[in-house]
Amino acid sequence: MESMEVDENIPQLYQRTPEDVKAIVKHAKLDERQLTQLTQALYFPSADVESENLRLLELDGHMLEQIRDGQTLHFKGGQNEKVVLCTDERTYDVKGAEISNSLLLVPNLKFAAATSTSPLKSPRTGNANASLERSLNDSTEDELEVPRTLEQRSVLKVFHEYFECREIKPRFRKLGELLQLTRYSGPENEFCIERKLLFSLTQLLDTVQCSRAQFMDGLRQYRAMQLDGHMRVMEYEYEYRTISLMLGLISENSWALDEVEREETISALIGIAPEAVVSGLFDIYTIPSERCPDKFQYQESLVARIVAQNILQPGLRFRNEEFMRTWQEALPEGMTCQLSYLRGLGICDKEGAQPCIRSLSEEQLPTSINDRMRALFKTKQKWTLDEMEPYMECFTTPTLSVSTLLAKHARSLTEGGVRYYVSKH
Amino acid sequence: MPIVVKTQNAGKGDWAIIELQGDLEVRANQDMHDQFIGDLYYNKYGQPILIIGHHILQGREQKLEKPFAVLEKSKTNDGERLLDTSLAPSQDMSLLNATTGAERTVLDHTIAQEHKSSQRTEYTVRAICTKKLIFKSRPKPIIANVAKSV
Repeated sequence: MESMEVDENIPQLYQRTPEDVKAIVKHAKLDERQLTQLTQALYFPSADVESENLRLLELDGHMLEQIRDGQTLHFKGGQNEKVVLCTDERTYDVKGAEISNSLLLVPNLKFAAATSTSPLKSPRTGNANASLERSLNDSTEDELEVPRTLEQRSVLKVFHEYFECREIKPRFRKLGELLQLTRYSGPENEFCIERKLLFSLTQLLDTVQCSRAQFMDGLRQYRAMQLDGHMRVMEYEYEYRTISLMLGLISENSWALDEVEREETISALIGIAPEAVVSGLFDIYTIPSERCPDKFQYQESLVARIVAQNILQPGLRFRNEEFMRTWQEALPEGMTCQLSYLRGLGICDKEGAQPCIRSLSEEQLPTSINDRMRALFKTKQKWTLDEMEPYMECFTTPTLSVSTLLAKHARSLTEGGVRYYVSKH
Repeated sequence: MPIVVKTQNAGKGDWAIIELQGDLEVRANQDMHDQFIGDLYYNKYGQPILIIGHHILQGREQKLEKPFAVLEKSKTNDGERLLDTSLAPSQDMSLLNATTGAERTVLDHTIAQEHKSSQRTEYTVRAICTKKLIFKSRPKPIIANVAKSV
């Protein structure tokens, strides 16, 4: 009403004046003494604000911290992928949320505390005072002139949408798939490798939907190394052969398991395997020795896995004891095989007359949950939760556990006090 | 190619969200740019009061449980920069491009695409909003019973 009147008189844009403010306060029957001194007049965005370029992104504690620290965030996603947002450590799913309320974004708006020269009253003590004050002031209506300042504020944009983020597990699979395309199996076979499918660390990091820290974890998980500026994984047999040669040096040099020497290992294999491969594998497979400075020890789990993988070729099955014996014998002295090392490589099948160990590689299974469930139940009818976990965990999110997934995609039954999961159909 | 979100100097100044139920609408197709919306007051207890036209709204100051970052999209349109960043990653790019032709795989194609679009857009965190003023209640009309006392 106020603004319309002024608009008629002045064709130019209307600017709020202190007089207008005083008038409206009176019309609204607000007690000016009960207001803080500052009035902020709000205006719609100017024409020069490119509102299309502004977005609201909802943050969790971790993201907020990263932004306050000045860390860079990244949106990542290929042409046919859903975009994710990555901090240096975590990965988030990004989703637009529409709301019917209007969110007015106002730069430099002052909140209540900043508009008052005296501290704000708290509501509880305030009520008692207010009635007292009112009774005191009732009669002195226009005697006290309260100073009132007016500041103009422009809304930058009115939003009806913001982006919300949900933390998700890193999406590694693309990394694995890209690396599998160019498995390394010795310099003599390099001519078969498609050069254009070789990728550098940066190229992979840029395309894989996960944070930098998670990416580095992923590279370790896939046992990838850098050869001639490209990230590569080894062909299993080649990796096994090279590792065997390296492990052979332990007994040859009468080293204790935690006395392995890096330089010695590398120089002993010169001419047999490329130096970069040997040093790369060495760094993946060993950890610094706790006992001897500058010496190393092989990680039992990794060694046991590559050995098991060599025995447990796809399609093969072994009697339980037979497999464990062969496996143990193939390991360097002092290392012990454990069924848990087979996680994601093979399963123990107790359904037949004799328990047997079967190859079942997680990497080879379908990537859609429905196809994968079908494949798993075809391999074996009954599964315990623990058995399924290695094959299901790639589908889990912080809010979606393996058991929730199984509740949806499988049927559970209890036999002899043990809970099993079987196919739904 | 990832889209960078720069965070330098983020969170300076008090940017606020004023949340209103429904929408602000004007009659017909009036140009709203720079138009006056209303006055914002606070009472001595810190309660925000918003007067829009002849409506008064009582609200409340609220800490945002999840703060908002204000992102601004910008385009790095200078070609120099584009060249720099797309060439910098490695020499593999030239290999990738050298083998153009029918044998390109789909994967190849997407990766090349991702690289081509490198650094075209980026976002800057302009500010972080940690508090909002929310006006949930129905606006009350202001009745000026005195005819034109101003």
